[in-house]
Amino acid sequence: MPSTYVASEEGLARLLEAVQADEVYAAVRRERGPEYCNLRADTEADAEPALREPRPSASPKAFLQPATERVAVYSTSGVDAERSCPACGRRALVGLRACDLKAIEYLDKVFRGGDVADPFYEARRTSELLISVDCVAVHENCFCTAVGGRPFAESGFDLNITPLEEGYLVEVGSERGQEVVERAGDAVREATEEDLRRRDAAREASLEQLRRQTGDWRVSDRIQEALLAKDEAAAWGDEAAKCVECAACTFICPTCHCFYLYDQAGGEEEFERVRTWDSCILGDYHRMAGPAGAKPSPRPGLRTRFANRMLHKYAFSPTQYGLLGCTGCGRCIEACYGQIDIRDVLRGFEE
Amino acid sequence: MTLNVEANPYAPQVARLSRVIDETPTIKTFCFDLDNPLAFRAGQFVQLGVPGLGEGPFTPSSSPLDPGHLEVTVLRTGEVTERLHRMQAGDACLLRGPYGKGFPVEKLEGKDVLVVGGGVGLAPLRALIYQLLSMTDRLGRVVIKNGARETAELLFRRQYDEWAAHKNVSLELTIDRPEAGWTGSVGVVTTILENVPGEIDIQNCYAFTCGPEIMLKFVTQKLLEKGLKAEQIYLSMNRRMSCGIGKCGRCNIGPYYLCKDGPDICYAKIKDYPNVFP
Repeated sequence: MPSTYVASEEGLARLLEAVQADEVYAAVRRERGPEYCNLRADTEADAEPALREPRPSASPKAFLQPATERVAVYSTSGVDAERSCPACGRRALVGLRACDLKAIEYLDKVFRGGDVADPFYEARRTSELLISVDCVAVHENCFCTAVGGRPFAESGFDLNITPLEEGYLVEVGSERGQEVVERAGDAVREATEEDLRRRDAAREASLEQLRRQTGDWRVSDRIQEALLAKDEAAAWGDEAAKCVECAACTFICPTCHCFYLYDQAGGEEEFERVRTWDSCILGDYHRMAGPAGAKPSPRPGLRTRFANRMLHKYAFSPTQYGLLGCTGCGRCIEACYGQIDIRDVLRGFEE
Repeated sequence: MTLNVEANPYAPQVARLSRVIDETPTIKTFCFDLDNPLAFRAGQFVQLGVPGLGEGPFTPSSSPLDPGHLEVTVLRTGEVTERLHRMQAGDACLLRGPYGKGFPVEKLEGKDVLVVGGGVGLAPLRALIYQLLSMTDRLGRVVIKNGARETAELLFRRQYDEWAAHKNVSLELTIDRPEAGWTGSVGVVTTILENVPGEIDIQNCYAFTCGPEIMLKFVTQKLLEKGLKAEQIYLSMNRRMSCGIGKCGRCNIGPYYLCKDGPDICYAKIKDYPNVFP
């Protein structure tokens, strides 16, 4: 049985201070809503954790796979081994929502799995402390329950926080989490049966919020089949026509992970290889070298690229990683300039 | 030179060109004599790049049996290949790899083998041909079909007689348009596939093809029409593979990433997914 504790507002602040890390990325309160940011940056000295708000509008993906990252430095005489190696200190992510943990599980399969692990992602994850928080407020676009999720985490964290009407319930999920609790000393006390009942009530309340906005809708096990069976041109036309090819959905998505490697001058007689986020929605994404007549793109039309994105999330990812590529966070819905609602696209296929 | 794949799969190694061979007006072969042999299976690819400019995926055209000597045959068709074509012996290139599965050579014992190339598509297939020629006593017939726009673009022409001189090996050529002095076939490569059922045992063969995607489409249709099953057809789908290890995402057909599950992939595996052919 994992151990559970209770902390007051002040106790929780002390518990978070007991986190030993060189970099702390946390969901914090902002005027325009909660956001993930680097707490140890000087400008963030007064930032308050956002633990009772809905999930932040951007996912914590950027802290796991930065938008731009140098992966090698070389000259014409060889690679600079030292500067081509990943380096990062101890890290902590605080205030992750259950959907964000699910996304990390997915990214772990992509970057740590396979025949070759990504050493840069691996270095960040190795020392990382994950502190999640239950959603006591649900965003209007959230639909985690439709894709097999819940608005609270039951595994995958070092510490999980449930905001209660007064104070917080803290669940320990790993030895590293336990160490933080021990360092916090009397900032927390052990939870009672009554505290656990209060947690269950809080969780039931957030499930009820989700029920009100998504009903009993569940993306069915047959979605994979349904998506692949539809005639491409007819099935995707209406939704794809609304897409303005801005790629915001892929950049905001917590599981989208495509990147592009390019080389550039890095100084006198020196070059660097950089990777940057890329998007399957963009026209040049698949384009190969060659004149247009040679048909150098396998997905020249937006409709086929739009379909490929949806198919990857709901049809290919289960085959590749045993997980859907969607956590139901709904961030792509508010990010979309074309007002495409991924819930409507899915429901359309299930009919 | 060590290919530092274990430590950092994205870091290239610098390799100096030992020789550049002019193959056709648009195709050159870049040769490297490597201190540490780059062992690859026929069909696996490498990322060959230009310092400061970028890299591209190319399947070596040299023999997998001689890994110390690597040859990569490249059509001039874009930014990186344009710069490669201006390089000379001694110039520094970037290399990493090998990546992908390679051709399933272990399946070929006792089988007939059909090899169909088009244009620079014969380059990856030459690595396979070298392998096949080294094991003819364990194979049935080996039938090589190759097409090009014109005679000047017929790749590796100097080697054709030597290949066809092997026991049970034949080679047939075609060019797209008639030319003075040309006595061979005229037309796209599918025109020389008409007689395939008389040349190999359709029930007991594998076919390997590489060329422009539009050619792969028509070759596949023709072979299915001639009685081959999708399971017997391997396509060399060299799309825009970048990372080489199935992470960057851009080379998918259905749930497969060509960089790790291909680039030579069985048609049966991909045929029901979208965007296989243009």
